[in-house]
Amino acid sequence: MSPFFKKRTKATQPKQTIPKSEIMINNENKQVSSCLEKNVEHFEEIFKNDMDFLVRKFYLFETKPAALLCLKSLVGKEEIERDIIRPLQEKILGPENQDVHYITENILYSSDVKIGKEISNLIAAITTGKAIIFIDGLSESLEIDVKLPDKRSIEQPETERVVRGPRDGFIEQINTNIALLRYRLPVPEFRIEKTEVGTRTRTNVAVCYMEDIVNEDLLQEVKKRIDAIQMDGVLDAGYIEQFIQDNPWSPFPQIQNTERPDKAVGNILEGRVAILVEGSPFVLIAPATFNQFYQTSEDYNERWIISSIVRFIRIMALIFSLTFSSFYVTVLSFHPELIPASFVVAASSGRHGVPFPVFVEVLLMELAMEILREATVRMPQQVGGALSIVGVLVVGQAAVQAGFVSPITVVIIALSTIGSFATPSYNAATAFRMLRFFLIILAGTFGLLGLAVSLMLVINHMISLRSFGVPFMFPFAPGNANAIKDSIIRAPFHWLKTRPESLNPKNKKRVGGRVKDKAPYNFLNEDGDNSEET
Amino acid sequence: MLAIPRAIIDKVGNAAPLASLVGIGLSSIGLLGLIYLGKRFPQHTFIGYNKIILGKTIGSLFMIVYLMLSVILIGLDTRQFAEVLVGGLLPNTPIHFSIFFMLLLCAVINYSNVSTFAYIHFFYLPLIILPLLVVILPTFKDIEYYHLLPINGHNLSLNGFMSGVVTMMGGISNYFVISMVIPYLKNPKKNAKGGIWGFFIGTFLVLLLNTVALGAFGDQKILEMMWPTLVLARMVEVPGEIVARIDAIFIISWIFAVFTTLLSYYFIVVRGVAEMINSKNYRFISVGTFLIAFLIALIPSDIYDVYNYLLFLWVGGVIFYILYVILLVVLAKVLRKKGSAV
Repeated sequence: MSPFFKKRTKATQPKQTIPKSEIMINNENKQVSSCLEKNVEHFEEIFKNDMDFLVRKFYLFETKPAALLCLKSLVGKEEIERDIIRPLQEKILGPENQDVHYITENILYSSDVKIGKEISNLIAAITTGKAIIFIDGLSESLEIDVKLPDKRSIEQPETERVVRGPRDGFIEQINTNIALLRYRLPVPEFRIEKTEVGTRTRTNVAVCYMEDIVNEDLLQEVKKRIDAIQMDGVLDAGYIEQFIQDNPWSPFPQIQNTERPDKAVGNILEGRVAILVEGSPFVLIAPATFNQFYQTSEDYNERWIISSIVRFIRIMALIFSLTFSSFYVTVLSFHPELIPASFVVAASSGRHGVPFPVFVEVLLMELAMEILREATVRMPQQVGGALSIVGVLVVGQAAVQAGFVSPITVVIIALSTIGSFATPSYNAATAFRMLRFFLIILAGTFGLLGLAVSLMLVINHMISLRSFGVPFMFPFAPGNANAIKDSIIRAPFHWLKTRPESLNPKNKKRVGGRVKDKAPYNFLNEDGDNSEET
Repeated sequence: MLAIPRAIIDKVGNAAPLASLVGIGLSSIGLLGLIYLGKRFPQHTFIGYNKIILGKTIGSLFMIVYLMLSVILIGLDTRQFAEVLVGGLLPNTPIHFSIFFMLLLCAVINYSNVSTFAYIHFFYLPLIILPLLVVILPTFKDIEYYHLLPINGHNLSLNGFMSGVVTMMGGISNYFVISMVIPYLKNPKKNAKGGIWGFFIGTFLVLLLNTVALGAFGDQKILEMMWPTLVLARMVEVPGEIVARIDAIFIISWIFAVFTTLLSYYFIVVRGVAEMINSKNYRFISVGTFLIAFLIALIPSDIYDVYNYLLFLWVGGVIFYILYVILLVVLAKVLRKKGSAV
């Protein structure tokens, strides 16, 4: 049977490409000339009179003219002077040793030295912080890595604080971040694959995973999506996240980000892939499920009973933040019979003289709360403290006293907002806070029906989401008895014997059997029989 | 879930539990037939093996009737839902909004992915069963045993009894969705266990509900109530007085239940139509179903009209569900038609 609907054949559009750098195109396949002056002039033409462009001319082995080119701002001055120029100038050797291979092998002290012939490669090298040496009469040049970028020290991450757990956090430099991961994973199976993304920023992006754990299909898909990115500049991991996520129309984050190396390593060990981006202290973790957004790395550091209770409280807070204010609106404006009479009396007596209906009142207060929150984030830190006092005390108190809002509304709004801040993942919490407006509007218009329908729309959307093929609501829908042990509760380690099935890891076992301990001898611990014998 | 006790008791009086039991028994024949067919044609849906057994023309003809029946059921069920809301909860909201919202919920699901459909059902299941149990279990103490006797009703004719049975079967008929999902199961040949379990858990709850409602109120009092289950819910007292009336929670869970029921029919219609016309444009079909069902929902003049239509449909549906399935099983055996192996 032929298809009823005509298949829409997509017109094969020419693939949109971003124009490449003209300088690079002009220099493609150009070789280094054997004339020193010509080479130096060529580079001076490209970098014109840039402030940090340095040409240091010297005589190799006191006889042969040579030049070192670099961008001063990117390189370590001391290293160039000590390890490159000094040995090249001090030694005096004959013309038979004036060869790049000999110089690399016998004279230079630097560890990362390459021999380059193509001009375009040399241009790329110089812009990423390498020094180039041209020698008169040789059509080969030396590329030496002397990069020394400025970086801040490793500090405790601001966004994910823990009471008990490691205090180090990722920083902007990708090499430091890789070091933080390597330091925790000293095994040969840990792989770090580098690619470059962004035609202008040429940002280094590293995909990290455990070779013998990660699912091969997942890994290929992650790499494929990263390679498909076409953009001029990638300034943060968030850019990559938005390019590779599954559903760009969803308010929910489908890829997790973290500033904590221990969290990243934990996820890599479960079979996920970590994506590091140069210039961003946030590491992406894919795939992510809803389950991960209310967990912290601290849950695993504390006793399991306590962690389980804390997790449960977090979920309650999350549900509260989503539904509490809309439930309040529904009950007070449509179904006051649903709550005990004394509550209704208390709530409505406080509303005496309030000019707005509950719906408008709650909506306005929620809006004010969001404005306060946004202002507190954007404000300079010195002023931030003052603002929150003004916001909370003065505005809230004054609004109630002026009869503008009822005190109960203020309490409800405050509770639901605080509830959302109990969620460890900032972006997931924000998604829920924004969805709250959708719920309030529907609940305020259609009562309990609106509340139920809007809630179901949100739930159905969450259930239909996928992150790299993994269902977003994984241990709950579809249900999985094994994975539920590490969701609402955090079961003791000897129950968590396998890695999450949703990731389909190559290597499933992670915790071995439990050995019953025997207490060491202590005479205070002796029971009756033993003491009689002695 | 809200109307079934009254509908059955209206027909058979005290024999409601017995009628429910017989209804479940007869329905399970249909279920077993479907499971058998599913095993025989592990790669085809109901629509698919219909064509194989009956030939293209006759098979398609029956399927058009079947799909139309399902669309009409969607419309009427939605209308029933809207009427309950107007009667019990939102007296001032026009029914159009309730109908619109309910159908919208179904229409926005992505039907190209069967697993999403299954996950949604899985997720809501506990949210439906738990509140139902919360309503049913505390009511046991209110059951008066003389309300349940005599178990075969007062001077009930076989005809009257059967109409009660048919009502019950109509009420639980959405197990039919299993015939559309079998080919997408991980292991279609092993579907029997899950299908039977699901069916019996669901029907057992309905049976329990009927019995408890009858036992608590008696057959005369129940006829004065529009929705006995809601009255049951109101009888439950919550310690602590946080929520004065548990029926708010119960109504939300009931909205979930209506949604999943409608979603099953909706799934049958959208996937079925798509398979009939050999298309993958689920979104278009889903919007079309939405419009048709919306119009159908507006046809009945009031709630009694809805039940008249529904009863008529249930009788027709039961014949279809049982006899037609048996016919298919017999024909498949006689004609030795078989689906390709997995």
